[in-house]
Amino acid sequence: MAYNKFDTPGKGVLIDLSKCVGCGSCSLACKMWNDLKFDDKFPDQGPDAKLSDKNWTAVRFHAVEKDGQPVFRFVKNQCLHCQQPACESACFSRAFQRTESGATIYYPHLCVGCRYCMLACPFNVPKFQWDQTFPLVTKCQMCFGRIEKGEAPACVGVCPTNVMTFGDRDELLALARKTIESDDKYVKHIYGEHEAGGTNWLYISDVPFEQLGFRTDVTTRPIPEYSHEFLKYTPPVIVAWGGLLSGMYIYTKRRNKIAKEEKKDMSV
Amino acid sequence: MDKQKAREKEVTRRNFLKMMGTLGLVGATATLAGCSKEPAGGGGWLPQQYQVASSWPTQVRGRVPLDPFSPSLTRDDEKCILCGQCVEVCQKVQSVFGYYQLPIKDNIVCVNCGQCALWCPTAAITERDEVQKVIEALEDPDKFVVVQTAPATRVALGEEFGLPAGSWVQGQQVAALKQMGFDRVFDTNFTADLTILEEGTELINRITGKETGRPLPQFTSCSPGWIKFCEYYYPYLIPNLSTCKSPQQMFGALVKTYYAKQNNIDPKNIVSVSIMPCTAKKFEAARPEMNDAGQYWNSEEEIRDVDIVLTTRELARLIKHYGIDLAALPEEEYDPMMGEGSGAGLIFGATGGVMEAAVRTAYFVLTNQPAPEVLFNLTPVRGLEGVKEASLEIPGTGTLRIAVVHGLGNARPVLEAVRRGESPYHFIEFMCCPGGCVSGGGQPRTSLPPSDEVREARIASLYQKDASYKLRESHENKEVIELYETFLDHPISELAYKLLHTKYTDRGDNFVAKKLS
Ligand code: SF4
Ligand code: SF4
Ligand code: SF4
Ligand code: SF4
Repeated sequence: MAYNKFDTPGKGVLIDLSKCVGCGSCSLACKMWNDLKFDDKFPDQGPDAKLSDKNWTAVRFHAVEKDGQPVFRFVKNQCLHCQQPACESACFSRAFQRTESGATIYYPHLCVGCRYCMLACPFNVPKFQWDQTFPLVTKCQMCFGRIEKGEAPACVGVCPTNVMTFGDRDELLALARKTIESDDKYVKHIYGEHEAGGTNWLYISDVPFEQLGFRTDVTTRPIPEYSHEFLKYTPPVIVAWGGLLSGMYIYTKRRNKIAKEEKKDMSV
Repeated sequence: MDKQKAREKEVTRRNFLKMMGTLGLVGATATLAGCSKEPAGGGGWLPQQYQVASSWPTQVRGRVPLDPFSPSLTRDDEKCILCGQCVEVCQKVQSVFGYYQLPIKDNIVCVNCGQCALWCPTAAITERDEVQKVIEALEDPDKFVVVQTAPATRVALGEEFGLPAGSWVQGQQVAALKQMGFDRVFDTNFTADLTILEEGTELINRITGKETGRPLPQFTSCSPGWIKFCEYYYPYLIPNLSTCKSPQQMFGALVKTYYAKQNNIDPKNIVSVSIMPCTAKKFEAARPEMNDAGQYWNSEEEIRDVDIVLTTRELARLIKHYGIDLAALPEEEYDPMMGEGSGAGLIFGATGGVMEAAVRTAYFVLTNQPAPEVLFNLTPVRGLEGVKEASLEIPGTGTLRIAVVHGLGNARPVLEAVRRGESPYHFIEFMCCPGGCVSGGGQPRTSLPPSDEVREARIASLYQKDASYKLRESHENKEVIELYETFLDHPISELAYKLLHTKYTDRGDNFVAKKLS
């Protein structure tokens, strides 16, 4: 499968976890920009912070030890925007698409709700709207509309301590390398450089990544190389779905027409 | 009715259809047809400063980190608009945010001052609300609920009821508290006067060398935000801090010892509430060492000196909860024994007030002469200038050099001078909030961000009242005199030291302070 569709690695974000003070501006900015609801059961900040269909990003609090001293660290999670996204290759309906800018974005109108993406993603990112009658999958979109205009993603721009740098992935990698090499406090690893074949969001940290809840056992082989094996089972599925969905489509259209007519009556 | 029902049904069906239309269940069809529409997300908004090409930095951005377990402040994310005002005041005015190195250690650095709450345009940041606790205490017939009101609340509370800035509502505040069922309504001005005697004696002891290991200049210690700031950023200057507790804590310790004893009340049944212009007072009251009444009674059970602290804004909510129209109340008087306060105690609410009060008494103690007229209108230390100074000739003693600082950002250069040994002062008043307690983090949000106009109106009201009082010197307070005669003996007596003085915590290890050029 031709995954090197784009010549450039595209844009990305470098997150320096040692600079985060846990203010939660980024996760709030994400909610504001994407018009997401708040959910008491799934906080987007704090020790229990989790990604959910309403939290496209979450800042998780970790109390860990460094040099024998207790320290507080905060980890901002979101989609890592893989260079060769497993979600995209798992999705037969093309609801997930890696773009030239480096963002992997999700088109709701294409989604059939099969949730293969959720199984495929090595970082457990896509979330399902369990509480909706007609649920969709949701995830960070890297503020696609903003980066198209040359703006930084919403979360990046609001951070008061410059935890995040937005830019070309190559340049970010160079910056990350320079930063960790010039300062002893950093762990000598750039998370995302090779994980899952490389991601466009990169992390550096002064505390080992495994202590901060990062999956460190992720393969460095691009996931799509495995997943087209599994994708070969999808054609029969899509045919079956197609039949059902076409039926639904016709039904919808008819009801819409009726609805419009009813509306006419209502406005009297 | 039936028609209505039918309509609801139709609407529901229409909603259903609308959902069907927008939802991706037609997805496969679209996929096969190869067309694509809008990606998810991006339907909301962000303030203007974040709508910039590329990742240009913006001046005002983000928000302050708040400790989720802070006893002082909470924030409601659903109201926050990421305007950055909280960072602005915390960094530029208070010099707290950004004055430490990253990564942080194990502390969300904050002095609990609540200035961020005062600047927040949407009131997303507020005090941790304890109104309900007070209601429960008031409704419990077994509890003896006493309340003290700080000097600065009586010139601001009215604003929550539509009165102009600085309106004097002392009598109405007392009346409202009595109507709500507080068993005793007392005045923190009483312990403000007491503070002057304790702190003034301490100063004289430092000057005369009686207090060994306690250097000059002496720093005031009534402002808990300032105290935490000193503990964080200037722990090596802790010996300069007066050991006096703040008036709130002196009051709390005395209510459950002195008052309880004289009136035969079981201190365990006393609920001690205070009404403060300040959010840091909540933090102060929760300091583990603030249980001197418990120590005094050798109690196994924890006896806190102050149980609940309400801000002025919370008091307004409590009064409204009971449906009381503050402005319409007749004025009432504080209860005796701990209810008398001098004009000197009253002006504690304004920047420069503690200093002015102190010199009135210091003059008397050192010379045994009544203080001259100028000390009753000590203009050099009044007003809103960030750092004010004065020097006073005290016959037989010499020149007393004093300074007054308010707003923590203004404190840094003065503290640096002290550190370098270049400070000419004997006594420095520090107040955490710009303007002093009148503009504390718990005061009504009468202008946003807080304006000097409002601060000045509240301050003017305090000075006017002081000028109109007969009792204008702390050492003339009869109830304070009685307290010493019947209980404490004399300033800095052994018992006074136990109940009215405290120790400080070095917080220098909690973080790495940023080197200032
Ligand atoms: S992190 Fe998961 S959801 Fe995001 S691009 Fe990679 S595979 Fe897709
Ligand atoms: S905005 Fe920046 S400092 Fe605040 S939580 Fe997010 S990454 Fe951390
Ligand atoms: S001042 Fe209030 S609204 Fe503005 S960023 Fe801070 S918390 Fe949010
Ligand atoms: S309470 Fe004061 S120190 Fe704490 S965040 Fe607010 S302004 Fe800053």
